[in-house]
Amino acid sequence: MTVWRPLLSLLGAAVIVGCARTNKAHETVLTFSGSALGAEGTLVAKQLKRFMQLHPDIRVELQRTPDDASQRHQLYVQWLNARVGNPDILQLDAIWTPEFAAAGWVLPLTRFSPASSEFFPATIAANTWAGQLYALPWFADVGLLYRRTDFVPKEPRSLGELVTDARQAMARAAGPRFGIVWQGARYEGLITGFVEYLGAFGGKILDDSGRVVVNRPEAVRALQFMRDELYSWHIAPLDVLTWHEEEARYAFQNGTAVFMRNWPYAVGAMSDKTQSRVAGKFAVSPMPASGEPNGHSTAALGGSQLAINAYSESPDAAYRLIEYLTAPDQMLERAQAVGQYPTRPALYRDSRLRNAIAIPPDDARRAIESATPRPVTPIYTELSEILQIELHRALVRQAEPQDALNSAAERINALIERTGMRKLMSAPHNAPVPAATSTPSRTE
Amino acid sequence: MRKISRLGYEARLGWALVGPALSVIALIAIFPLGWTVWESLHLHELRMPWLGQPFIGLANYVEIAKDPRFWAALAHTAFFTVVSISLELVIGLFLALAMNRVFRGRGFVRAAVLVPWAIPTVVAALLWRFIFESQGGIANALLVDAHILKQPLVWFIQTSTAWVPVILADVWKTTPFVALLLLAGLQNIDLSLYEAAAVDGANAWWQLRHITLPLLKPAILVTLIFRTLDGFRVFDLIYVLTGGGPGTSTEPVALYTFNALLQNLRFGYGSALSVVIFAITFGLALIYVRGLGVRLGGEEA
Repeated sequence: MTVWRPLLSLLGAAVIVGCARTNKAHETVLTFSGSALGAEGTLVAKQLKRFMQLHPDIRVELQRTPDDASQRHQLYVQWLNARVGNPDILQLDAIWTPEFAAAGWVLPLTRFSPASSEFFPATIAANTWAGQLYALPWFADVGLLYRRTDFVPKEPRSLGELVTDARQAMARAAGPRFGIVWQGARYEGLITGFVEYLGAFGGKILDDSGRVVVNRPEAVRALQFMRDELYSWHIAPLDVLTWHEEEARYAFQNGTAVFMRNWPYAVGAMSDKTQSRVAGKFAVSPMPASGEPNGHSTAALGGSQLAINAYSESPDAAYRLIEYLTAPDQMLERAQAVGQYPTRPALYRDSRLRNAIAIPPDDARRAIESATPRPVTPIYTELSEILQIELHRALVRQAEPQDALNSAAERINALIERTGMRKLMSAPHNAPVPAATSTPSRTE
Repeated sequence: MRKISRLGYEARLGWALVGPALSVIALIAIFPLGWTVWESLHLHELRMPWLGQPFIGLANYVEIAKDPRFWAALAHTAFFTVVSISLELVIGLFLALAMNRVFRGRGFVRAAVLVPWAIPTVVAALLWRFIFESQGGIANALLVDAHILKQPLVWFIQTSTAWVPVILADVWKTTPFVALLLLAGLQNIDLSLYEAAAVDGANAWWQLRHITLPLLKPAILVTLIFRTLDGFRVFDLIYVLTGGGPGTSTEPVALYTFNALLQNLRFGYGSALSVVIFAITFGLALIYVRGLGVRLGGEEA
């Protein structure tokens, strides 16, 4: 008995402490999840702390999730399948929102009347499913064309000009070995690059009514163009077919390439004179159009969104936090701390942004305005996998572009059938599926 | 009478004693297997809760039968298994014969040969990837210097060349293991057989064909079983080296299953794929044990 008594009293104390913790002043406890490493982690912690000072009745806990997107995705899917209410706020990749929305895992934001017109239209379109907005864009990532200003002073206005510029620079005595480098390995990065060429030729993967149009002539010409860069004009090295973002950056940073397709993150490292041979000798612009009738300058859209877990116990508090984090001040602070691009066009007129991001804000804004979301569909991931394989087959010359894209279209159609997407899209309770490029108007 | 009841008691005691072990096996082997079979009969897509989780009979298996990517993956797996194991057996046998001789430093050599086997597969794969990766990589530099290649190759964008690092890496890593198994077999052969053959004037080749190889048969069989089952489950090596590419032309079944199950979260279809792989490897093991006419550990061995 004498042994048990102190143990029991300890247990009692623990129970009391535990109760005190959960009952304290009936405050709302929110969990926020997302990548929280290094400078980004410090920034998030700082902003959450400020939010709690503004809202003493809400306590926010930071739940660390893997920085790697596909790992975070897998974790979220497992939690949401188990209907777990934590974390209340999810950080979604640009291509996940329709999947999570169709699965009923995140709440539509309509009832909070978000000010969606203040964001770039493409970032809103990417987060809209069946006519409703499901997440607010937190920061934007956008495909850029980097060029060596010492060889190509003026940005190319068409893809044809790009090829000429690249070949001329390569032919010069001290010219770089490669004309253009991009991400051609079989992974999601290949799709983002393809989407840009596709838009340049006026093609699409899915049309506005969700039909598969990836084997139309425009798409075949876009893919043929990428192949010609490799095998006809020899401006892209065959190595790019195994490259991701970093390999391309190393090549450009070491001065071996005239042009590079990459995301804004590369600006930072390449501006550093101690590790970069091209510091001060490069500029960015949007990828040019092909010059064909329907073609337009296109940038792939990436970035992060914030959404509310459908099983959250305090969705209203969660929305307040999302609203706070996506407010102009926090976005600007984010750009200043970690160089991530705001999703609000108005901020690009703010002089403080000029020092925060490494390229002229106008160039960045132009690129984001030409951004196109990848197909906005709940089955995006599997659709992308099919396309990655077929594109790669065409680029390594295992298949002709037309055949590869026909096969992709056939398999994507089978996927749409198998997953009941057609029924889901035409279900009476759903509003018509919005076009990938249209701006939603039903948010008020 | 007394004897029989005693036997019954012993039998019951025996069952009671192996009971815990049997229930552990049931829990960790039979239950998950049963669950996988159960999943494979359902439509279960973690990402698409709107589809529900209905029972669909053998529909997943029908889809597998019609899936060209699965058949291609099966062919890649068989190709990888046959080529790498043939090389490993031949080279491993040479190594084993060499190590079986009596020479100074034999212990050291035996230990040193095992080093590649001790390296984790992912690390070994990364190493080989590094060797073959870029146009300025070690493999390209050596082959161009030796005038075997005119120009550096991008190894991973052609099916034929993408297999080279994969097979090389597997042979490099696994031959020591094969050699060790064969060495154990060699040491079981009675030396007096060779002495008798030598007295009768048999040369080394005759001795190898008529003494060493027949008596090594059980060891070769064990090696084949181990290596075939390993080969059929090859995953990490190819995942790191080629990712199954270019396209999907080096993708083995295990990688395809991983992709369906853990990347696309198609639990039903992925489970059906797992069951098919299990059935194939199980079938292969049976064929080996029956077909080669050797009883493992039996009295007639």
